Amino acid sequence: MSIEVQNITKIFGDFTALKDVSLHIPAGELTALLGPSGSGKTTLLRIISGLEVPDAGTVFFHGEDMNGTHARDRKVGFVFQHYALFRHMSVYDNVAFGLEVLPRKVKPRKKEIREKVHQLLSLVQLDRLGGRFPSQLSGGQRQRVALARALAVEPKVLLLDEPFGSLDARVRRELRHWLRKLHDEIHVTSVFVTHDQEEALEVADRVVVMNEGRIEQVGTPDDVYHHPATPFVYNFLGNVNLFHARVEGGKAYFGDAVFDLPQGQMQHDTSSAMIYVRPHLLDITRESSGKNDLKARIIYINMAGPVVKIELLSARRDSIQVEISQEHFERLRLKKHEEVYVRPKELKVFTQDYSI
Amino acid sequence: MIFVPKQKSILPGFGLSMGFTLAYLGLLVLIPLSMLFLRSASLSWSDFWATAFSSRTLAAYKLSFGASLLGASINAVFGFLVAWVLVRYEFPGKRMMDALVDMPFALPTAVAGIALTAIYSQNGWMGKLLAPFGIQAAFSPLGVVIALTFVGLPFVVRTLEPVLQEIDKEVEEVAASLGANRLQTFLKVIFPALGPALLTGFSLAFARALGEYGSVVFISGNMPFKTEIVPLLIMTKLEQYDYTGARVIAVVMLVASFSLLLVINLLQAWTRRGQS
Repeated sequence: MSIEVQNITKIFGDFTALKDVSLHIPAGELTALLGPSGSGKTTLLRIISGLEVPDAGTVFFHGEDMNGTHARDRKVGFVFQHYALFRHMSVYDNVAFGLEVLPRKVKPRKKEIREKVHQLLSLVQLDRLGGRFPSQLSGGQRQRVALARALAVEPKVLLLDEPFGSLDARVRRELRHWLRKLHDEIHVTSVFVTHDQEEALEVADRVVVMNEGRIEQVGTPDDVYHHPATPFVYNFLGNVNLFHARVEGGKAYFGDAVFDLPQGQMQHDTSSAMIYVRPHLLDITRESSGKNDLKARIIYINMAGPVVKIELLSARRDSIQVEISQEHFERLRLKKHEEVYVRPKELKVFTQDYSI
Repeated sequence: MIFVPKQKSILPGFGLSMGFTLAYLGLLVLIPLSMLFLRSASLSWSDFWATAFSSRTLAAYKLSFGASLLGASINAVFGFLVAWVLVRYEFPGKRMMDALVDMPFALPTAVAGIALTAIYSQNGWMGKLLAPFGIQAAFSPLGVVIALTFVGLPFVVRTLEPVLQEIDKEVEEVAASLGANRLQTFLKVIFPALGPALLTGFSLAFARALGEYGSVVFISGNMPFKTEIVPLLIMTKLEQYDYTGARVIAVVMLVASFSLLLVINLLQAWTRRGQS
């Protein structure tokens, strides 16, 4: 079932959480709402679920206006960051809850409920633990119980609020792969909120990048990573180096250095352009080719990890982060305090009319 | 012999704290109470039985336990409501109301007794309203229940408040998103989570009511067989220098209260299963 969000505004006191937000979420996809805290992503998720009421705007499920519909009648599954399991119920009873509260007329028989719960528990790989209580489970197991519980009512939409936010890094990575696999099996329209760009890019079919109550960009992970629409998106989806430059006749001037701007990125002349380059798209050379490079001094080298991270300082005292492969680093034999040249392999120019 | 490796701790360890606890409880609770048993053990079994279960004391037990249970039950229901309102809603005068809950605690019980008697006697404010219905509040078992309810209120409210505060809003939201209506959410999610605390509040209110003396003696009228509570009966015996009789009744009360509290505790452990 598709979700359509139209011109939603939500204000808490004097804080505007969402400003006229519109969004289309196609049926059967796994969509990530990505943004820093306070960007309104959780509020948007809660409005879709019906747990929060918008001040203006409408939510449609499959073309049907949901504004007057209470959360319990929307057929959404909601999974919270802190699981929100019923502590006094066993795992089995937690999962069965949604079926037990159905009106008598449509409530399945005891045996059917039992079968359904066991089926769900084996789906989330917890079949043996039905008799345990939530306090006897690990964080990852609790979150899987919460997911099974949400799926028990066969929701038309599955909403997850930072589902892996309170788990440690390893469990988190495991669970998100598992969620992706699960989604490929059951294909329920799913939306999850995260502030972790890696998580969003790895798991989602579609990423919605949000900032300050607005949507910055909607696209596939590939799209938003390689073709960021705004400086914010570029910034948020990974580390960047930022240079303030002057653009004139298709060239960018930065201190003594001059850079040719790539085709299609020809900006009108301006004295306040911003050039964004990701650390791994910068190269280091010993010799200058006189063009497209920038003199800088190495001040820090970190070799731990798959790439070597080097921090440099330009003549204008801008800090520059560069990531190069271990082999390349071996070849160059760079040392601390050495003067080298930094050359962007790819850069992105935004003029000042975008604001971060 | 099994050697358990000694665990290092920042605070004085098991030995010191356990020793202190035992000495403290022994001195304060166990020794005085065991004296009761020792002294009453001098009586023969038949004498004991005759004193402990004469028709007058039986009536007093019935009133004491009955009125205490009733008072604690009333408090369990309405104290719950008060705690709910105090935790869940914001309204002007909330702090005042919160302070008011503690009054039965802070007040000398005799003051409470006089105040209640003044209001519930036949020409008092409340008594006047009840009289046309043929209900006599003061100087009747009803008066005893009123006084015992009064003194027990803070126990239920104060034990429930922190637990209510701790209930996650998200748990209710989850229940709603799973299709539960408000009543189902309350009955299946909120109430069971409060069960152990409610039982604690109930047993505290009950225990307090059993031992209550000051507020009851004024409002009950102290008529033997009708409105005489056990603590009063003990007092009466003491005033007649019948120390053995007083001790015997005290022992019965002790055993009965202890077994009742034990049962409530077991019930509590049962409701708390799984929640560590």
